[in-house]
Amino acid sequence: MEVYRIEDLSFSFPGQQKKALSQIDLTVSSGEFITIIGKSGCGKSTLLKQLKPILAPHGVSSGTIHYKEAPLSEIDHRTQASEIGFVLQNPDNGIVTDKVWHELAFGLESLGLDGQTIRLRVAEMASFFGIQTWFHKPVSELSGGQKQLLNLASVMAMHPSLLILDEPTSQLDPIAAMEFLETVSKINRELGVTVIMTEHRLEEVLPLTDRLIVLDDGCLIADDAPRNVGKKLHAMGHPMYLSMPAPMQIYTAIETETMMHTPLPLTVKEGRQWLQGKFRYSAETSGLHDQKDGPAVKLQQPVAAEFKDVWFKYEKNGPDIIKDLSFKVQKGQFYCLVGGNGTGKSTALSLLSGIVRPYRGKVLLEGKQPASMKVRDLFHNFLGVLPQNPQSLFVKKTVELDLYEMLSDSEETMEQKKVRMDAVSAFAELEPLLSMHPYDLSGGEQQRAALAKVLLLEPTILILDEPTKGLDSFFKEKLGLFLKKLNAEGVTIIMVSHDIEFCAKYGEECSMFFDGGIVSTNTATAFFAGNNFYTTSANRMARHLWRDAVTVESVIERCQTSL
Amino acid sequence: MRRNAFTTFHPIVNFVYFTFVLVFSMAFMHPLFQAISLAGAIGYSILLNGRKAVKFNLLYMLPLLLVMAAFNPIFNHAGVTILFYLPNGNPFTRESILYGIAAACMYVTVIVWFSCFNKVITSDKLMYLFGKIMPAISLILAMTLRFVPRYRHQLSVISQAQRSIGRDLSQGNLIERARNGLRILSILTTWAMENAIETADSMKARGYGLPKRTSFSIYRFERRDQLTLSIMIGLVAIVLTGAALEENTIRYFPSVVMKEYSLFSFVVYGAYFIFCTLPVMFQIVEEVKWKYIVSKI
Repeated sequence: MEVYRIEDLSFSFPGQQKKALSQIDLTVSSGEFITIIGKSGCGKSTLLKQLKPILAPHGVSSGTIHYKEAPLSEIDHRTQASEIGFVLQNPDNGIVTDKVWHELAFGLESLGLDGQTIRLRVAEMASFFGIQTWFHKPVSELSGGQKQLLNLASVMAMHPSLLILDEPTSQLDPIAAMEFLETVSKINRELGVTVIMTEHRLEEVLPLTDRLIVLDDGCLIADDAPRNVGKKLHAMGHPMYLSMPAPMQIYTAIETETMMHTPLPLTVKEGRQWLQGKFRYSAETSGLHDQKDGPAVKLQQPVAAEFKDVWFKYEKNGPDIIKDLSFKVQKGQFYCLVGGNGTGKSTALSLLSGIVRPYRGKVLLEGKQPASMKVRDLFHNFLGVLPQNPQSLFVKKTVELDLYEMLSDSEETMEQKKVRMDAVSAFAELEPLLSMHPYDLSGGEQQRAALAKVLLLEPTILILDEPTKGLDSFFKEKLGLFLKKLNAEGVTIIMVSHDIEFCAKYGEECSMFFDGGIVSTNTATAFFAGNNFYTTSANRMARHLWRDAVTVESVIERCQTSL
Repeated sequence: MRRNAFTTFHPIVNFVYFTFVLVFSMAFMHPLFQAISLAGAIGYSILLNGRKAVKFNLLYMLPLLLVMAAFNPIFNHAGVTILFYLPNGNPFTRESILYGIAAACMYVTVIVWFSCFNKVITSDKLMYLFGKIMPAISLILAMTLRFVPRYRHQLSVISQAQRSIGRDLSQGNLIERARNGLRILSILTTWAMENAIETADSMKARGYGLPKRTSFSIYRFERRDQLTLSIMIGLVAIVLTGAALEENTIRYFPSVVMKEYSLFSFVVYGAYFIFCTLPVMFQIVEEVKWKYIVSKI
């Protein structure tokens, strides 16, 4: 049965000539799992919101959308609310009330159901989603992953036949994201609910997807099973192809001739099987020579930041968050701290920027303790911190004013300021965005604007906390290149991240954080080659052949030389 | 919070109980009634708060009681039994001493009952009770309780981010600090408004604004709530009958007059005693039962 029939849909925002969506034709059948991908700002969210008129933004639209045979515009608010579930991107913004149980009941209260029915549905949903253990908790005590699950559960309590999700995992860490996607898949499989979602984590979501739709600049350019879409994008040479799973990218780079006729591998498992078949005889027994290039590459450089046997806890009788942490970051290094949630990575950054002090041991930035330095000395021409949420830096109406604001207390002349401003906005490619409101920028653009603000203080050490959170692969790559460029100019970069792929690609030295300390440190390649599970998907796919092939590029290179 | 039998009752039962016990404590100045109510209040507050309640009662309530009792006869000179004359020539009467004690006792009793009220009627229960009367207000309360911790968290995030570019409240001279503080507030406001739009979307998406909204609560009115409520109403009826027959009244001025004791007055005293010590009794009964069950295993 058709759920949606979209014919020739175009949409443009008020006062804008450019169409946000143009001539979309799409049908959605009941029970399908559809994933929509595309660069940030390609119209994914706009399309999703068109599917639920109460959320549709103002603007000029043409074409028709039919929902279950009737024009969507004729569907009343009540039907829309109960049948079309919508989960937003930011888990915090979706939650309205203060208690978990109340949030679950919120939609049902709106529908005017009686107490007994609500009680039953809430109980059902809490059991289905495993919420029983935190059912009575206040929302503020939940983790990000739990919050997003709660959003999903409170929508599902209304028994929708269709679920629309707008980048639901972009604010979650990889483990919580995986769990969330599994739950969505379970809803689709076991309850038969149609799912339409936009997502950046293609590695995880593609194996679950029935149909993959690619949007580019408001146009629908591909609509097929994920493997076929992969072929199509590859044939088009489309940049979105770079965000496809690593096994697929490696496969198409090697099997250039036969790829059009064979199914592309989607998962690490499939990629591994293919590699095994292909390189059975030519595989070298590697994994030995990668031990030799330890961290001792740049030892002659002076130390930029150092932790000496640092211990830290937040409360006197509380648990130790940082336990006997010691490491050194050399000048000009690109240093990555990876590790799971709650291992103390962010606390290590707080120690580094002098927000908190250790109760034992020393934190040194070029030999000085940040917590006892004067703020002016610490943050001017020395230490730069890019916060996780770039919005917490913006003050002014436009990006340009915001950047000037950073220079407001310097004694430079207007011309000097202008020169610096121009330089930094050219560096961060902000020129076309200077007259916009910072909140109107996309996530990646906001990040760059915030980075530009921090760079105006001319830091020599730059600290980043989860800079890739919520960015799509295109913006990630851009950010990576910026950081590389800064690094080449001599800025020391210390980054905390969950994003293994990003660290493997751009990081120089990586450390694994666990239980308040560092478990292992090595150069990026050797580090990931040494891990068995905590490594990139390209490496997991190829590590039985080439242990130190960590990135997609290096696996492709190895394949080519071994052929 | 310690587990307490009375807190597990339906909010309406809790609320009705506290309403009557507070009204009675304020209305009845009869010494026996006051003693009963004070004992009930103190007993329950200790059960609820343990050592903290003992400290509170001894450290604040007892001195308050003594001071209030002492102050009344100094300023109040009504009454027929004159004990002596104050240096300024005003009489110091027995009635005013007694009245002082009674008034102080009433005051303290009400405060202690309120401290119990605060523990038992949590924000959840209060919201439920409000929701019964005005559903819209109850939702606003719930949303406020959601936003307050959220804003507080965001404020610390912003303040930390600003600190890392040298613009925190703790940095610079007084004027700079004030400016930084305002800047942080302005960022918070912008952020809050931006995000409120999405929250509004989330509400609309889940049908907020449809007519005939209901208000759900996790509280269920069980049989034991019914039973307890009827017992309470029975006791209240007896006490009120007593009040109508002036069993509970006392006259202090010009001379102390109470009604003579009769069989019925003991019935009223008994009912009031049971009523005031209900929460304590529930707790004791539950604990005894529990011990019994455990001992059987």
